[in-house]
Amino acid sequence: MRGRNLKPSRVYQTASRLLESNSITQPPVWFKTIGSIPPGEILTRMQPAQHRDVKINSRIRKPSKMFKPQPIEYEEDRLRREFYSDHPWELARPRIILEDDGRDGQKCDWSRIQQLGRPLSGESVVQRQLWLIENKGNSKSEAYDIARKEFYALRYQEEVERRVAKEEALWTGAYFGLDNLEIGMKLEDKVYEDWKEWGVKEVEALDRNRDAAYSSMPGGEEDAEPEEEAAEEEAAVVA
Amino acid sequence: MILRNVAIRHGRRALAAPLRRSFLRTLTTDTLTHDTSAIDSSLQNQLKETHSIEANINALHLTQSFVPPTSASEPTDAVKDAYAHKQHIKKRTLTLGSIVEEEYVPDSLVTNPPRPEDVTLELLLASQSHLGHSTSLWNPANQRYIFGIRQGVHIISLEETAAHLRRAAKVVEGVAYHGGLILFVGTRAGQAPAVVKAATMAKGCHLFEKWIPGSITNGDQILARCGIKVVDKDDVDITYGFEEKVAEWKALKPDLVVCLNPLENYVLLHECGLNNIPTVGIVDTDADPTWVTYPIPANDDSLRCIQVIAGVLGRAGQEGQRKRLEAAKTGEVTWLPPPGLGKPETEQDRQKAANRVKKVVAKVEEEDAQVKSRRGRLLPSREDDEL
Repeated sequence: MRGRNLKPSRVYQTASRLLESNSITQPPVWFKTIGSIPPGEILTRMQPAQHRDVKINSRIRKPSKMFKPQPIEYEEDRLRREFYSDHPWELARPRIILEDDGRDGQKCDWSRIQQLGRPLSGESVVQRQLWLIENKGNSKSEAYDIARKEFYALRYQEEVERRVAKEEALWTGAYFGLDNLEIGMKLEDKVYEDWKEWGVKEVEALDRNRDAAYSSMPGGEEDAEPEEEAAEEEAAVVA
Repeated sequence: MILRNVAIRHGRRALAAPLRRSFLRTLTTDTLTHDTSAIDSSLQNQLKETHSIEANINALHLTQSFVPPTSASEPTDAVKDAYAHKQHIKKRTLTLGSIVEEEYVPDSLVTNPPRPEDVTLELLLASQSHLGHSTSLWNPANQRYIFGIRQGVHIISLEETAAHLRRAAKVVEGVAYHGGLILFVGTRAGQAPAVVKAATMAKGCHLFEKWIPGSITNGDQILARCGIKVVDKDDVDITYGFEEKVAEWKALKPDLVVCLNPLENYVLLHECGLNNIPTVGIVDTDADPTWVTYPIPANDDSLRCIQVIAGVLGRAGQEGQRKRLEAAKTGEVTWLPPPGLGKPETEQDRQKAANRVKKVVAKVEEEDAQVKSRRGRLLPSREDDEL
C-alpha cells in the first residue's frame, strides 16, 4: 500500500513487452481496446480552477499555495447567510433535497417568488432577491425587503389556508386525535406499567419471605437437615 | 460476634431453606394435573350426556318433522344490485379528478440505468457525484480532478467525472466486444442491486460481498469448485467435445475489473496489478488514483452516484455484447479462443486415440513377452554358473 505502484496504469506496455518476448502466445482480450483508449494522465498537478480574483501580492498566490484548490463562492452566499441569520427557524422546516434529472434549477422563473412544483422556502427569497438585484437594478437591501415581504405574505396565506382547512375538516367530522398506532402504543405502555407494579410487589413479597427465613427460629422437620449441614461445615472449618 | 462467622454458620442454611409450600404451589405444575384430570372427567361426562340426548332424539324420530327455515336465508337481489350500482359509479367516475402520476421512483437508476451518451453534468450533479471528502482527508494525487472547496469539502469537477466515465465506458464496451470477462465489484452496503444489474447487462460477473484474497493469484485452489463452460461465437453452450479439457481447465481470470469502492478492495486491485489485468475504479478525493488503470473521479459514498456509474458501465458492456453478437451473426468472430483449448473432440478423434492406446499397449506387451523369453533362455545358464 505504500508508495506509488504504476503497474495498473501500464498494463498495455507490460502486455506488449510480454508479447515481444513471447512470454504470452496471444495478446490479451483487452489489448486492442486499451491500445486505442489509453488511460488518462494521473498524478500531475494542474492550475486549479480560479473562483475569485486575487491580488498579485496576496497570500493565495504564494508558490506553495499555487496548486491548492480554491474555495468556491457564489453571489447568493452572502444573501443566504443574511436571510438565515435573520430567520433561523426557516432552517428547521423539512426540505426535499433530492433531484431527479438535475434540471430543477432551470425550470424556475424568479420574476415572481412562487414557483411551480417547488415549495416556498428561504431559498426562494434568496433567488428572488438576486433576480431583483440583477434585473430590476434594486440595491441589496431594497431587494431583500421586497423579497422578504412577499415571502411573509405567502407564509401568512399558507397559515390561514391551513387553519381554514383544519376547521373545515373538523366540521365535516375529521378526527385529529391519536391514531391507531399511538393508541396501540399507549395500551402497550399501560400493560408494561401494570407489569412493573406487579413485579415490584412480587419482589417485595419475595424479599419479605427471605427475611422471614433469616429471622425465623430453627425448628420443625424442614430445618433439621440444614442444621446438620451447618454442624458438618463447622467441623470442616475446625479441621 | 464476627459477621463472617454468621455467614458461615447460618448463611448456607438460610439460603438452603426450602421455599414455602404456597410458593411451590404457584411454581410447580403438580396442581395442574389435578385440574386437567377434573376437566377431562367433566368433558367426558358432558359427551356422555350429549350422546344420551342424541340417542333420545333419534329414538323419537323428531328429525323427519323438522323443517328448516328457508325464507330467512333466501338470497335477495339487493346485494347484487348494490354491487352493480357500485361498479356503475366506478365506471362513470373513473375519468374524473386529477391523475396522480408517479413522480419519483427510488430505484429507477437501477432498473433503467442511463446510457453513456445520456450522461450529463446535471445528472451527475443531481446524483451527488461532485461531493468529495473533507479537505483534511485529501489525497493530493487527485488534485487535477478537484474543482474547488465548498464548506470544507472538496468538490470534484463534473467535467472530469463525465470525461473519465465516458472513457471507462468505451473501455468496457471494447472489452465486451472482444469477448472479455468483466467483473463488477461493489462491496459496500447497498451497492449490490446496482452491481448485479450492471453485471447482468454486461454478461459479466459480480461481487457484492468480500473479495476472497487470492481469488486471482490462487484461483485454482479458491475457485476449484466453480463451473466453466465453453461457448461458440453466438454464445451457445458447447456441451460435447471439451469435457476433459474443461475439467482440467485453470480457474478463469477476469479481463477487466470494475471496482466501485477501491478503498476497501486494495487486495483485489493489487492482484489485478500482479496479473496485468486492467481495472476501472471510482476514485474519491481520499483515494489513490494509481491503484486503478482507469480512475473515475466521483463520490463513492453516494449510492445514487454508484448507481449512475455502474449503470453507465453496464449499459456500455451491454452495447459491446450486442455488437459482438451482431458481428458473430455475419460470421465475424471478434475474439480468439484461449490458447490450449483447440478444437472439440469428435467421435473419430476418440476412436483414433483409443486405437493408438491399444497399439501402444499391444507393443508394450509384445516387448515384455520378448524380454521374458530372453530371460527364460538366460536363466538356466546363470544357474549353471553358480553351480
